Amino acid sequence: MTAIRIENLTRTFGAVRAVDDISLDIRHGELFTLLGPSGCGKTTLLRMIAGFVDVESGSICFDGRRIDALPAHRRDTGMVFQNYAIFPNHTVAENVAYGLKARKIPAAEIVSRVDKALERVRLAGYGPRSPHQLSGGQLQRVAIARALVIEPAVLLFDEPLSNLDAQLRTEMRVEVRQLQQALGLTAIYVTHDQEEALAISDRIAVLRHGTIEQVDTPERIYRMPQTAFVAEFLGSTNMVPGIAGAFDGHNTPVAAAGTEFTVRGEVAAPGTPVLLSVRPEALQLRDGSGGSLVHARLALREFLGPVQRLHATLPDGTPIRISALGGQALDLLPGAPLTLAYDPAQITAYPAP
Amino acid sequence: MKRFATIVTLAALVLLAVFLLYPLALVLDASFRIDGTGGLTLGNYAAIVKSRYYLGSIGNSLLCAALATVFACAIGIPLAFCLARIDIPGRALLLTLASLPLVLPSFVSAYALVLLFGHAGVVTTALRGIGIPIGSIYGLPGIVIVFTLTLYPYVVMPVLAGFQAVDASMEEAARNLGGSRPYVIRTVLLPIVMPAILAGGLLVFIEALENFGVPAVLAEDRPFLAVDIFKLFAGESDANPAAAGALSVLLIACTAIALLVQRHYLGKRRFSTNARSAPAKLPLTPGLRLTATIVSWGIVIASLLPFAAVLMISLLRFRGPVLTWEFGLGNYATLLSGSYRPLLNTLTLASIAAVATMLIGAPIGYVVARHRSRLSGLLDFVGMVPFAVSGTILAIGLIIAFNSGPLILTGGWLILVIAYVVRKLPFAIRSSSAIVHQLDPSLEEASINLGVSPSKTFATLTVPLMASGLVGGLVLVWITAASELSATIVLYASGWVTTTVVMYHAIEGTGAGLAAAAAAVLILVTAIPLLLINRRINKQESTVI
Ligand SMILES: Nc1ncnc2c1ncn2[C@@H]1O[C@H](COP(=O)(O)OP(=O)(O)O)[C@@H](O)[C@H]1O
Ligand SMILES: [Mg+2]
Repeated sequence: MTAIRIENLTRTFGAVRAVDDISLDIRHGELFTLLGPSGCGKTTLLRMIAGFVDVESGSICFDGRRIDALPAHRRDTGMVFQNYAIFPNHTVAENVAYGLKARKIPAAEIVSRVDKALERVRLAGYGPRSPHQLSGGQLQRVAIARALVIEPAVLLFDEPLSNLDAQLRTEMRVEVRQLQQALGLTAIYVTHDQEEALAISDRIAVLRHGTIEQVDTPERIYRMPQTAFVAEFLGSTNMVPGIAGAFDGHNTPVAAAGTEFTVRGEVAAPGTPVLLSVRPEALQLRDGSGGSLVHARLALREFLGPVQRLHATLPDGTPIRISALGGQALDLLPGAPLTLAYDPAQITAYPAP
Repeated sequence: MKRFATIVTLAALVLLAVFLLYPLALVLDASFRIDGTGGLTLGNYAAIVKSRYYLGSIGNSLLCAALATVFACAIGIPLAFCLARIDIPGRALLLTLASLPLVLPSFVSAYALVLLFGHAGVVTTALRGIGIPIGSIYGLPGIVIVFTLTLYPYVVMPVLAGFQAVDASMEEAARNLGGSRPYVIRTVLLPIVMPAILAGGLLVFIEALENFGVPAVLAEDRPFLAVDIFKLFAGESDANPAAAGALSVLLIACTAIALLVQRHYLGKRRFSTNARSAPAKLPLTPGLRLTATIVSWGIVIASLLPFAAVLMISLLRFRGPVLTWEFGLGNYATLLSGSYRPLLNTLTLASIAAVATMLIGAPIGYVVARHRSRLSGLLDFVGMVPFAVSGTILAIGLIIAFNSGPLILTGGWLILVIAYVVRKLPFAIRSSSAIVHQLDPSLEEASINLGVSPSKTFATLTVPLMASGLVGGLVLVWITAASELSATIVLYASGWVTTTVVMYHAIEGTGAGLAAAAAAVLILVTAIPLLLINRRINKQESTVI
């Protein structure tokens, strides 16, 4: 169990500020996710913690002890790599024992700890096998066992599931989460997959261009994105530009896309351009009237089984996506008018960029 | 990690500075000195420019290399295309055989030509017997033939990789978009393969220009740069080290320019053969396929035939220079009756050199591949310099450098080993860095992350992972060191005569039988290890080029 404090960490590659003055506090036993699009600096930050990328300025502390000057092999982190990095010239058991041997653990203890670790990742009995006899998912489990078995101060994951197929990915992320919780290890998890991040994290930091946009729990990140970037990156929200109207003490009307949206609270001074985030599931198909409504016209229907995604256009032609249940409005054809109801509290306004 | 890389880089640079750059600098220096007095002069160069003989020597060498390049491309490109795109029977075997001429000693091939078509050659005498005179193969024609037949694999390997790197979908896409087959070849295939052709062709040019053994066997009295440099430096009567230096500088200038152009065309391009789906074999009529098969096999067999002929002839009895049709092991008896020493020397020196080369080359290759820095870039560059320097010139430099002064090496075995190591180092560096490129860097990071220090990770994880590739490199260095002639002939001392030296002197003298036996021994010494590990070799060859 380790708490990690990162202060004003910076790293540049030539003109690229890969990690730009980042400060973070990661708590004991937390699964903390670094989320962001490719190239935003997640890997660089993780590798700075592991000791593979030099720190330019700033500091990293584990439990109050500075570790950023230690060489990588003395930092006591357990890293799980995207491409598994299983030593092909060692058996599964030897792979798992590798870090224990480096720590000069007695041989008898190594055997029992390796067995237990393999059991934990549901690979009991696979010890004598050679890595090339294992599937991708099994290799990733070996990699996880190898990192767990040394009981590191911190577990580091760099997109550990991105080489697996979709089905295995969703299964494995649950396993990763359960193992981390069972062992009570602090973990930093890098991913660009927002669903994966939402599913398993205690807290998420959304990164962009080497800086932090927001740090929060998955629920708050999703429901209360603090910037337009976070809103757009998490879930395929509709971003609609508009002009704020006068606050009526309760709501603010925003003229947008040839119609008007009602947004909870005072958004901005009247006449200020704003950007509205309207989540597809915040819009509901309605027949009648009542509440806040907008009108749209159906353009295309994507039927996805349990749900469907409707592509529609707002009065001025702005495209908008709407989530509906699989059985809803099946008789509607492209061109049909839609009436969409929403809760003003579910619409977020950001200052226009 | 960084410290490890810095130490390796600095150690390697010091080594190369002492045993490569310093000797070369001395050769350059000698070319500007008045022989005897040591005053500065441009006279050596002026003498070359004024001498018809030396201009002819430069002209002959350049012409020969250019012709060999053209012919090697002329047979190498079609062969590469057939290997890549036509379903030729025995393709895998053909591919292995096609790479053999690169490592078999080319002057043996030249000597085979002498045995077959020379003044007293088997074919010459037979044809003369029935009244058909044939032209002389000495000089330009023979030398160009031998260079073409021994160097064409330099064209085949990269061009083949180029043809295979064209992903099938790329070609299909072009066809799908309405391109006719010739149009697709012109717009998709050629642009990909052209740099490979240039790169391979220039390599042929460089090798042909530098080569000492082939003109030494076939030039007779015609002037050739590589031979003249040797004669000027080591000749008994007309020695003129200063002139040898000037000619050396000119030769290095030519090869260096060619090498720079070659590197430029190769650039950052990697002709990876693992295109996701290799292009489909061409649908051909049986007639065309048969033609392609005959041509492909014909080229490869023709290039190996001289070696087979030498093996055969070594088993026949010679009366003086004249061959008889009686079988016997007499030639081998003559070869070994003198002493086993030359053979033993060859094996010993090659073994020491091979191990030393890989021990030095592997860490350098690792650093060059893994730790890009200005220093390792410099090392990468200096490490390639031996490519541009012929063995004879390096040997001359080593003699000037270590004949006197604080470190005297001439006359012993060490200077031979040093010459071999320096000459083969580019190969060792290239092949080990190619192996490292195939190793996932996160394997080493995983090891370090689990608590093993970087230097221990290199020794206990990286080296074992590189091992199987390094063995291939080791064997190739061993083979080429065992059949090295151009530096050996300058550097050997009485106790350290090698098989190649025995063969050279036997050819110079009248020991045709002895020469044939020595040549046969060289073929066996090189071919046997090759066959033992030929699968590995195939991979290496393409990476080296
Ligand atoms: N070793 C490096 N050399 C140069 N640029 C790098 C290096 N590593 C990362 N970068 C750059 O830093 C930025 C962040 O990279 P990275 O941390 O790998 O992003 P992510 O993991 O979020 O996709 C990118 O623009 C990348 O090109
Ligand atoms: Mg990354």
